[in-house]
Amino acid sequence: MSRHPDSPVVVATVRVLSLFILTFALFTLFHGTSSVGGGFQGGVVAAAVVVTLAFAFGVDDTARWLSTGRLLALAVAAPVVFVVVALAGVATGGAFLQFDHLPIPKPSVYATEAVELGIGATVGAVIVVLFVNLAAPATGGERP
Amino acid sequence: MTATGLLLAALLVLVVVTAGITAVARTLPTTLVAFAVYSLGLAMVWVVFRAPDVALTEAAVGAGVTTALFLMLLRRTGAREAPQPTAPTRRVRPVSVVLSAAVTLGLLATVPSLPAVGAADTPVFGPVSEFYLVDSADRGIDNVVTAVLVVYRGFDTFGEIAVVFAAAVAVLAVLGREVVL
Repeated sequence: MSRHPDSPVVVATVRVLSLFILTFALFTLFHGTSSVGGGFQGGVVAAAVVVTLAFAFGVDDTARWLSTGRLLALAVAAPVVFVVVALAGVATGGAFLQFDHLPIPKPSVYATEAVELGIGATVGAVIVVLFVNLAAPATGGERP
Repeated sequence: MTATGLLLAALLVLVVVTAGITAVARTLPTTLVAFAVYSLGLAMVWVVFRAPDVALTEAAVGAGVTTALFLMLLRRTGAREAPQPTAPTRRVRPVSVVLSAAVTLGLLATVPSLPAVGAADTPVFGPVSEFYLVDSADRGIDNVVTAVLVVYRGFDTFGEIAVVFAAAVAVLAVLGREVVL
């Protein structure tokens, strides 16, 4: 795949499709409380955009376009958000992971939405990390 | 037979056929493509059973990302292998046939004790699900699946996402890398 990055059919298809796939992923992520989907699904679909880009333009180029720091930040998002939301429940007089006491309008909806966005970021980033690392040469060294 | 029944029967035939192809295919790419189709067929079965959340996950993870990961690994591991002119002949031992037939019959024997689809006396329709349906609507969350995952079963989901995070850490540790790319 990285040796034949220039098939015009694949490149054109991915160029057109990736926008729609990413839009669908973001819709799934942000609309998880009111329609089908949520963090896991949206994250996987967003990661699928990166995977299709890698199939069209080559894994090495795609990996070069990714930012290491941002990918790391996305990967830790869900554990951090989960802990913050859970402890916010404790701080406002409820139990661990209890959302009712949060001093915001519609606390359950927004707490759930925050957790879902974190889950989406972590799932998407982890899949991208797995994909890029498994596709890398087996030498075990760090990528340039 | 209703239209839904026909569709379901066709999808189940597709799933069984692709499962068979996955098992007996001679080359790994054929196996991978058949496995992806199998997964997509299962996703459509979930849609027919009105479980779109599961269907979306199955289509994205099972048919999409898993196939991509397998193809990637196949490209890395198969490149140095000389292509074989003929696949090795398969010998099926009688013991294997008897054993798999026994397991299949044993599993099929449990099917009649399953409740019918949508039967009202199953534990699914107990007071707990009634509470979930009413309470999640009160909280303003229309998708009950999301509400169960985060509001009522938050501990489970916390553990799951920790497992996902640990997967990335484990792969990086096994590959001996300290950065994510």
